[in-house]
Amino acid sequence: MRKTQITIINRRGLHARAAARLITLASKFESEIILSNNEKRANGKSILPVMMLAAVQGTLLELTANGHDEDRAIKELVALIENRFDEAE
Amino acid sequence: MSILLTGIGVARGIAIGKAHLLLCEAPEIVEYRLPNDLLEKEVRRFDAALEQARSHLQTIRNHLPISTPADVAAFIDIHLLMLEDSTLSQVPIDLIRDSHCNAEWALKQQRDNLVQVFEAMDDPYLRTRKDDVDQVVNLVQRVLMGKSLGWENGANRLRGLIIVAEELSPADAVFFFHEGIAALITERGGPTSHTAILARSLDLPTIAGMRRARQFIADGDTIILDGRQGVALVDPDARALQHYHQRRQEQRLHFAALIQLRNIPATTRDGRRVRLMANIELPEDIEELNEVGAEGVGLYRTEFLFMNRNTAPDEEEQFAIYQSLVQAMNGRPVTIRTIDLGADKPFAGITLGHIATNPALSLRGIRLCLRTPQLFIPQLRAILRASAFGPVRMALPLITNSAEIIQVRHLLDQVRRDLRHEGHSFDENLSLGGIIEVPAAALTISELAHHLDFFSLGTNDLIQYTLAIDRIDDQVSYLYNPLHPAILRLIYIALRAGIKANIPIAMCGEMAGDSRFTRLLIGMGLQELSMRPISLPEIKQVINTSVYTPLAQLARRVIYARDSSAISVLMEKINANL
Repeated sequence: MRKTQITIINRRGLHARAAARLITLASKFESEIILSNNEKRANGKSILPVMMLAAVQGTLLELTANGHDEDRAIKELVALIENRFDEAE
Repeated sequence: MSILLTGIGVARGIAIGKAHLLLCEAPEIVEYRLPNDLLEKEVRRFDAALEQARSHLQTIRNHLPISTPADVAAFIDIHLLMLEDSTLSQVPIDLIRDSHCNAEWALKQQRDNLVQVFEAMDDPYLRTRKDDVDQVVNLVQRVLMGKSLGWENGANRLRGLIIVAEELSPADAVFFFHEGIAALITERGGPTSHTAILARSLDLPTIAGMRRARQFIADGDTIILDGRQGVALVDPDARALQHYHQRRQEQRLHFAALIQLRNIPATTRDGRRVRLMANIELPEDIEELNEVGAEGVGLYRTEFLFMNRNTAPDEEEQFAIYQSLVQAMNGRPVTIRTIDLGADKPFAGITLGHIATNPALSLRGIRLCLRTPQLFIPQLRAILRASAFGPVRMALPLITNSAEIIQVRHLLDQVRRDLRHEGHSFDENLSLGGIIEVPAAALTISELAHHLDFFSLGTNDLIQYTLAIDRIDDQVSYLYNPLHPAILRLIYIALRAGIKANIPIAMCGEMAGDSRFTRLLIGMGLQELSMRPISLPEIKQVINTSVYTPLAQLARRVIYARDSSAISVLMEKINANL
């Protein structure tokens, strides 16, 4: 199991489109992927729970991946978040 | 009796038709209990409804016009993802089995749970995402309740109608468009909503933000709608109808005639020439540019080369793209804007690790270019090398002082020496210009002019920085006003300083492609406007039917007008017979 913490830096936070990109990427991995924001936990492959984390700009998220491709999953998900979901804002 | 309703015109065009009201978006849901032996049948009914809703959205997704912006398509994809989400696809099934209720009720329970979470959110943008939940849930409810989604039967029972709704999802808008509706009115939304953007690409006359429209309009009322002015006349008399039938006919002929203007230059009736250029984002856009007869590229936004990828394009990749663009333009000028990215525009491969508290005022545009020479130098080299193949102008974004330009000049000198040394050829006199998008730059243009060869007014940012408003923020977007006296005066100051310094000033912001402002801008002295290719024929038409000399006088009066209402009166005069 791999775990890391990452801050949401894009202006609109984990809004709908960003959440869509995140879960689309997460769904490519076989590992189980969990995002948590304090007490709230969300399946990283499920759009509504991810949106309901209400992760606005500046939110510190914990990202957990568990499975044979967990290293790659964490690396690519972190890159997506750091790249502000590849979007113009 | 006729009544006149006003809203925000978000997609132009005149439409005349009967109103079709979309009333309560949330259907009345009743609960009933099911015996054990019917539960699995109910589960299957729910699954089938989900499947039908998915295929409905998928069909709409496949029918999007080619010109639909990617973010609108993404919006429909989000709804599809929601339909796939077990939160909506599985939880209601568990509810059916556990509490022996009907599918509609189970879905409603889950919808209420979800909406409650969204409503409790502090962030206003995230909070409105509950609308997405509602739109998706209502789609499934419509199927469950046996209502036709209409797409498959092609009955066109909505042909010619004007839809009046509280708010529409982009998917609904596409659906109604294909049903042949004449126009749209929504009570909510504004010029930047997804539905508005979509309506413009569909060329569907649309008014948004017409509050309480459904209280004043009844099903079957005749409506005349003017999507440019944002007004609707309900229950018009015979004279108004005749007038607008004629206007609509003229407008149709007008659009057909526009495209034929392609090979005619833009010149006012008293002979003042205006150069019309195109803004492009990708090299492919050159096709559209040629279709409308643009005289050059007034703004090539290179940052799109850097987005949606993990590493920045290197010098060779950029050179190949710029070179082919310059060659394809065949002697017409190409204005290449250096990377305009920053804290608010992310891009792959570069992580600055800096969270700006206020991205608009942080490290972006030329500031970012100068801070990241590993990005900037390859771009400078690629642009210079492309200049060997045709006229290239380099434009620097977000300049605010001469020191920035002097730094760029130093870098360019170094790059030129290196290129010469390596045996590359380039245009020794490549023009270097700046985008004027900060009030500080507009006010000190005569100083900046010592260091630059041309300027282009980037009105979108200039307006935001001058009026201190973020126009995608709904709370203040109503203040986004290109005709604010402060904006007009800044533009005028910049233009006058340009004439004095004998340095050309163009405009490349959205204002340049908005026909409501064309006469004012040419009256103020602009002779080069750069815009999205799609706007170009209309702007040319306006110029070719205008007379410069009286416009110059009227424009002066606009600049010194007391207030916005005086400006409105003058604008009506300027745009008379348009």
